Amino acid sequence: MNAVTSAPPQDAALAERLAGRARLALRERRPAEALPLLDRLRRLPGQAGAAAALRAEALLDLAAFQEADEAAAEALTANPGSAALLQLRARAHAACGRRLDAIDAAAGAVMAAPGDPLAKALLGAMLLDDQRTEEAIYFLGLAFKAMPDNPRIQLRLAAALRQAGRHEAAAELLDHCATIAPNLPGLAEARSRTALAAGDPERAIALAEEGLQRLGPDAALYSALAHALEAAGRREEAGPYFRMAARLAPHDPYLAHLAATMAGETTARATEGYIQSLFDGYAPRFETSLIALGYRVPGLIRRAVERLLPEVAAGRRRLGPVLDLGCGTGLVGVALHDLLGDTLVGVDLSRRMLEEAAAKGIYTALRRAELSAALREDQGAYALITAGDVFCYLGELTEVLTLCRACLAPGGLLLFSVERGEPGSGVRLGAQGRYHHAPDLVRAHLAAAGLEAAETREEDLRLDRGQPVPGLLVAARIAGC
Amino acid sequence: MAAPEGPFRAAILALAEGRPAAAVPLLEEAAARGDGGGYAWLNLGLALSQLGRLAEAVPPLERAAEALPDLAEPLFRLGQIAGLRGENERAVACFRAALERHRDHVPSLAALAATEETAGRLLEAAALIAHARALDPAEPELGAWAARIALARGDAATALEEAEAVLAQRPEHVGAAQTFARALLRLHSAEMALDRVAAHAAADPFAAGWPVAAATVHALSGNLAAALAELQAAAALAPEAAEVQGELGKALAAAGRTEEAEAALRLAVAARPNDVGLRNRLATVLWKAHRLAEALAMLDAAIADFGPEPALLMNRALLLNLRGEQAAALEAADRAIEASRGSREALVNRLSVLAYHPEGHAQALLGIGRRIAASLGPAPAPLHDARPADPDRPLLVGLLTGNLCRHPVGWLTVSGIEALPEDGFRIAAYSLRPREDAITARFRARAAMWREVGAADDAAIARLIAADGVDVLLDLGGYGEGGRPFVLHRRPAPVQIKWVGSQASSTGLDCVDWMLTDRWETPEGFERFYSERLLRLPDGYVCYAPPAYAPPVAPLPALATGRVTFGCFNNLAKITPAVMAAWARILVALPESRLVLRTSALSDAETRRLLLRRLIGAGLPEGRVTLGEGLPHHAFLASYGEVDIALDPFPYTGGLTVCEALWMGVPTVSLAGDSFAARHALSHLSNVGLADWVVETVDAYVALALSRARDLGGLAALRAGLRERVRASPLCDAPRFGRNLAAALRFAWRDWCARAGAEGKRAR
Repeated sequence: MNAVTSAPPQDAALAERLAGRARLALRERRPAEALPLLDRLRRLPGQAGAAAALRAEALLDLAAFQEADEAAAEALTANPGSAALLQLRARAHAACGRRLDAIDAAAGAVMAAPGDPLAKALLGAMLLDDQRTEEAIYFLGLAFKAMPDNPRIQLRLAAALRQAGRHEAAAELLDHCATIAPNLPGLAEARSRTALAAGDPERAIALAEEGLQRLGPDAALYSALAHALEAAGRREEAGPYFRMAARLAPHDPYLAHLAATMAGETTARATEGYIQSLFDGYAPRFETSLIALGYRVPGLIRRAVERLLPEVAAGRRRLGPVLDLGCGTGLVGVALHDLLGDTLVGVDLSRRMLEEAAAKGIYTALRRAELSAALREDQGAYALITAGDVFCYLGELTEVLTLCRACLAPGGLLLFSVERGEPGSGVRLGAQGRYHHAPDLVRAHLAAAGLEAAETREEDLRLDRGQPVPGLLVAARIAGC
Repeated sequence: MAAPEGPFRAAILALAEGRPAAAVPLLEEAAARGDGGGYAWLNLGLALSQLGRLAEAVPPLERAAEALPDLAEPLFRLGQIAGLRGENERAVACFRAALERHRDHVPSLAALAATEETAGRLLEAAALIAHARALDPAEPELGAWAARIALARGDAATALEEAEAVLAQRPEHVGAAQTFARALLRLHSAEMALDRVAAHAAADPFAAGWPVAAATVHALSGNLAAALAELQAAAALAPEAAEVQGELGKALAAAGRTEEAEAALRLAVAARPNDVGLRNRLATVLWKAHRLAEALAMLDAAIADFGPEPALLMNRALLLNLRGEQAAALEAADRAIEASRGSREALVNRLSVLAYHPEGHAQALLGIGRRIAASLGPAPAPLHDARPADPDRPLLVGLLTGNLCRHPVGWLTVSGIEALPEDGFRIAAYSLRPREDAITARFRARAAMWREVGAADDAAIARLIAADGVDVLLDLGGYGEGGRPFVLHRRPAPVQIKWVGSQASSTGLDCVDWMLTDRWETPEGFERFYSERLLRLPDGYVCYAPPAYAPPVAPLPALATGRVTFGCFNNLAKITPAVMAAWARILVALPESRLVLRTSALSDAETRRLLLRRLIGAGLPEGRVTLGEGLPHHAFLASYGEVDIALDPFPYTGGLTVCEALWMGVPTVSLAGDSFAARHALSHLSNVGLADWVVETVDAYVALALSRARDLGGLAALRAGLRERVRASPLCDAPRFGRNLAAALRFAWRDWCARAGAEGKRAR
């Protein structure tokens, strides 16, 4: 390359042109347009810090969170202690999922600008993200007192109140917000969700419908409406709304999954795609993440085997052939590896998960397949079939249980976990896109499949946002065997 | 030559200071006095050329050529002007004559090379450029030229090297940067090309050429937003470079950012008045801003300078049409056909204009459609794959349009598409323009597939539609702005249907199997006006989705004012002299009555003034006509509160406008003709049970308006119940429309299955 480098023009006019156009682009929500300008601005002497700050803003708007975070850090180096930059950093941290760092930065911004209620509101929002509800309410409350007419602060404070279970206060604040800024993005959804949390699905439905009527289609509102319909027992009606929400937010796998699940059998393949893509992306950090979440299922399965197969536990006998449904990265295999005496077959939809499992060198065979299909094709007679954290993705269990029964050796054991719902509540779709099964329903499914429970234990499966997730660990055998 | 004195001397000074406009009168005076020898004439010609006043520049240059027989310059300049005006033979003759006077005249060599290049004689062009460069090796323009010709000859490596050398010398050279980018794309993938450009930009961050090159790569890969971002950087780096500003202006205009585009293009045009493309683009930007008079003046000046350029003439035709001057518009359209030797674009242009013209009958419109079809040549082999001719399976329905948004296409199709049963019809949207509003969101919520394809060419769009497996393709763009009807020529789907979207007449195209219509648009016997088969829906051919924000119906204003207010909120293109004459008769017969016109083109003061003059000329009483500007949609709808009766234009009748008037409680007096556009209002009014508001002659139109206006009681009663009536009618009954549409699409599909089956049997 024989490019001639033009001498950097020292004039402030160029810097002003570049920064001015970049600021304009940011103001008009065209962040991508700012970037080439900022690439030049930062090369001008003395402009690196200013360029980094604008760049962080642009990248944040472009959802390039990691890069935004780096740019914010660079801007802070040039201008340490700037409250505006600390706020930017906090938003970038939060967007990257680094909640504690986000709180630190937001707290720094509050200290740097103690009179700025927006900094307090941001800190409150970050605390809310981290489930530190009472602290969140404190800071959002301060912000609200300073700026009682700011609808965004009201919206956040209401979210915190809802999270704290103070539904009435939340609803009241949102009603007030609706008189000030009826079209505020997220307001209609918040009102509907608050009504639902307060146990009034009918009102939640009415609020969501009213919002849709007034504001037009919106993914979050469709989703709120669908959840409310589900809670009102109008499951059939919820499906199309989940589907429309998923189409409006095509990059949201949660909505895509819900849409697919609600659509029933006809879109079983869409569910497959969801699980596959979700877990493919998740595979490399799956274990760390599960361990961090206090994931207990492999351990629970191990202990169930020890209880129910004492010969094996005592080392007098080895386990016969084992089938691990939804094996993921192979954690169940790890938990059982010293007990194995025959084949260990793993089945999962995600290629990358299977690669991780293969790397452990424990499984004798790994198949990439959907559960039911795998069971239908399998001619094996297994001493043990495990399904840890798998059936929570299925609503109706009779079919899969029947298929499991056909693959069990006489006297063979089926061990599976489900997320536990209230007795009599049937099957409910939870906020994480997993099904909750009522214990009585699980028993009914087992009976319908020709299985009987050898043991049913209430266990916490893992932590979700610091809260234990209640579950059931079920051990079953062929009925009458 | 003696030292010049007086005005000549002052003129030379003005030219040296870059003030050609000031020099012109001085040079005229000097030339008339015989000062400066032939040089006064020569400089006058140069100054006028520099100002873009090409037509005026010719006579002084001819005088200079005579007076200065040894000088190549005057002949060269004359050749240049001829070239700009598209008179290529004359241009070549001038350049050759200049070279006879001075065989090493570099500008003439270069200009001759340009004409050879245009004619596709690349070897000759390259030789001329080589000759010129031997004489003037340091001139970067010649280097840029050599680079471009090398690329045209397929030698990308040389092009790259030459272009890079030019950029080293002139970092903001747009032509070199574009050639550099094109050469890179010839040698590498887009990604690698961008990497290469980025490396140059990192090494030389303040050179404007690299972001221009990056913009070119982005634009050629279909990423217009990224191209625009790079051009913003280039324009900030080189605020004085007219070409860079021009590129930015064009990109902004393409993105619909009219105000910013105008600013950038004005800078560029001022510095480069001889760039016909820039001036045409600026005219269209002014037009989008509803500044029709300015836009037209700009086009007229460009036509005077550059001669009958088809692109200028076509825009002139559309602009005149938009101002309601249909006869002049058609004349311009015909000149464009002549100047372009019958190009397809010019034929489409004529069809767009003719639909508004009083002579725009169905038969004439079909005739142009047939000429357009002939220009396409024979049908290529279908792109869609063989598929099971299963008459009952779920169908994938494609929508091809740039208007899945708040646009007549959106308002008239969205609730029908939503109401198609989900289990029988999946939707794939092929969006030709990125749009995001509440209507877009409704389409998105219904569509299983959404593809932004505006940057792709027709062939690529057709391949995509075929690869997606679309069974039934609905064209919702037609020959209108941004439409891509020729995608259908490649047969991406087995069944292809024309629906809303510049649906003014038959398309004339063999690749359009069906026209989605109804019994009012195309009654029995109208088949002869259509190349398509007629797919008649049992009610109207559209379903109107009234906006939730529409204000309530106001009481009949005449009850308060005591006099009837007529209104027409259609665009001015529809308001022909015959329409004005009919309105004049109505207003004269009802001395208290008023007429309100409202449309966005009337936001322009000059357009208002011209229209008022034409209305008065047609016999409308001046004091009783109100011209209202465009308003935000809810306020626009609210302004129906001051209208008692809407008067529909003809032959291009109101479509969405009639639906909106009805929703706002205002019935429309309409005159039906025989083209599709001439029967929109008939369809909508019949669909709500108001067929008795439609007549077939101008006399009956006038009589009907008068009799309705004299029955205030009847009007008030009708108005009070009209919204409910419309809401309950098939016009707004989405579930009913959805069933009908489903049945029609299924019918067309089964027809194809039957034909495919029959063919299969024959083949066996």
